[in-house]
Amino acid sequence: MSDIQMDCALDLMRRLPPQKIEKHLSDLIDLVPSLCEDLLSSVDQPLKIVRDKQVGKDFLLCDYNRDGDSYRSPWSNTYFPPLDDGAVPTEKLRKLEMDANMAFDQYREMYFEGGVSSVYLWDLDQGFAGVILIKKVGDGSKKVRGTWDSIHVVEVQEKNTGRNAHYKLTSTVMLWLQTNKAVSGSMSLAGSLTRQTEMDSPVSDSSPHIANIGRMVEDMENKMRNTLNEVYFGKTCDIMNGLRSVVPLNADDENKEALRQDLTAALQKRHTKSDAKDPTNPTSN
Amino acid sequence: MAMEGEELISDQEKVRIVSDFILHSPPGEFNEVFNDVRGLVNNDALLKEGTCWAFALYNKEQTLPVKIENSEYPVLITQFNDLGSSRFYDPRSKQSFKFDHLRKEPSNYENWEPDSETEAWRSVFETEFTSYTSLHYKHGTCSVFAKQEGSSTVITACIEDHEFQAKNFWNGRWRSQWTLTVGPTNIDVFGFLRIHVHYYENGNVQLVASKEIKESVALTTEAVKEVLKIAEDAENEYQIAITENYQTMSETTFKALRRQLPVTRTKIDWNKIVSYSIAKEFKTQ
Repeated sequence: MSDIQMDCALDLMRRLPPQKIEKHLSDLIDLVPSLCEDLLSSVDQPLKIVRDKQVGKDFLLCDYNRDGDSYRSPWSNTYFPPLDDGAVPTEKLRKLEMDANMAFDQYREMYFEGGVSSVYLWDLDQGFAGVILIKKVGDGSKKVRGTWDSIHVVEVQEKNTGRNAHYKLTSTVMLWLQTNKAVSGSMSLAGSLTRQTEMDSPVSDSSPHIANIGRMVEDMENKMRNTLNEVYFGKTCDIMNGLRSVVPLNADDENKEALRQDLTAALQKRHTKSDAKDPTNPTSN
Repeated sequence: MAMEGEELISDQEKVRIVSDFILHSPPGEFNEVFNDVRGLVNNDALLKEGTCWAFALYNKEQTLPVKIENSEYPVLITQFNDLGSSRFYDPRSKQSFKFDHLRKEPSNYENWEPDSETEAWRSVFETEFTSYTSLHYKHGTCSVFAKQEGSSTVITACIEDHEFQAKNFWNGRWRSQWTLTVGPTNIDVFGFLRIHVHYYENGNVQLVASKEIKESVALTTEAVKEVLKIAEDAENEYQIAITENYQTMSETTFKALRRQLPVTRTKIDWNKIVSYSIAKEFKTQ
């Protein structure tokens, strides 16, 4: 029964609007408490930010840095709220975790030019695993608010006494774009994508784990960014424009293009006017 | 959140959650969402008894088009033609029918007499809005309802268009609702436009958008034409504005969240980043 329930729960989460994912997930867990652990580990939620007060730097929360109600900061390796006996990585792994946090902090700055990143590692039987989290909240320019969350889970299986490794990456990107303007009303575009990839690679001083993982994450995120922008958003816009036609359906082909251009030009003028006096957005930034 | 096996919620709370899921079903995915919650709750009696109001509300909110006997034109299921006891009327074909909200089937047809006071206005607007719908909606359905409110006749024109392509993993629906309050000197025009698109091929991306419009026209012999012009212009403007938002989001917001490539326009040199991180770390120690 539980397998069927889990299938139903996952199908449901793929259908309900991502705009309200947190509420739907918490309701779902209330409805079927026995699925709690499975759901929390398989349904990604928007990342939350907490301040590491020891070093004065923000970090991200997820199930992998949680112990009870506290979360471990990757910067100071301590728990917030404080926890005396919270689990911490072994010394060797912590060293790697610190390097990974440094590296992905630079990656974040170069691609996101802001935001917060956190990397958490844990030991596996033959190797280790980790999660790379990045969150960026847009500045709301052009009256569009946006949020990007990346969650990359990587499993590293070491082979041949550590000279080779198998990497398995599962990446989820969640994106929310929202705008409220006089001319277009309230518009929310939200979505999440998950993709997987695997790779074998030598491990050495010139090709350390972090560089191998970094390249994988970078390629994956570049691909997913393009897919979201071009395929997913483009598609929903095309579907919308297939439902209604701005140009009357009985116009012949020659007239259609002329009409479309006239309309766009005429409305463009009105936009400029109505945006200028838009009372809900006093600053246009 | 309930933990495994404890804090079981009441039937009442289950019904609330399940109803909320049902009401959030994307267009064309009611059956899938219903089957999911059925598998999760595993109590058909509770589901049917507790949530049948949600099926009805969902259909009315979606303004579901239904093919009926003795009319070549479908009618919309809405809050405006709800006679209670699961009966609805079609003012165009002057009949009422029982509607099964789960099977989406009409039955038990009866004659329905329009209100003589409001019918003249209603039928004029029905003709105009039906013709308008056929000009801008490829598979659009339009129903126009009337009621008397004090000295005003209130006309509600509902337009619906949808396209469901489950095999290509997308569904979409456009809904327009034009409420026209015909008073002694003016017709007050209130428009409510809603778009919901779901694209879910290996992901879950949804567009949820709405806009309200308020206008008024003087009650002259040209008033009906003017109302239709307002509706057509407002819907065109809205559709173009949403399309333009997509462009802004793609060109501006997306770039501000995450760049396609770093400022250097080349991918990251991970070996450099890793050695830099380690150097920096030694410095801070």
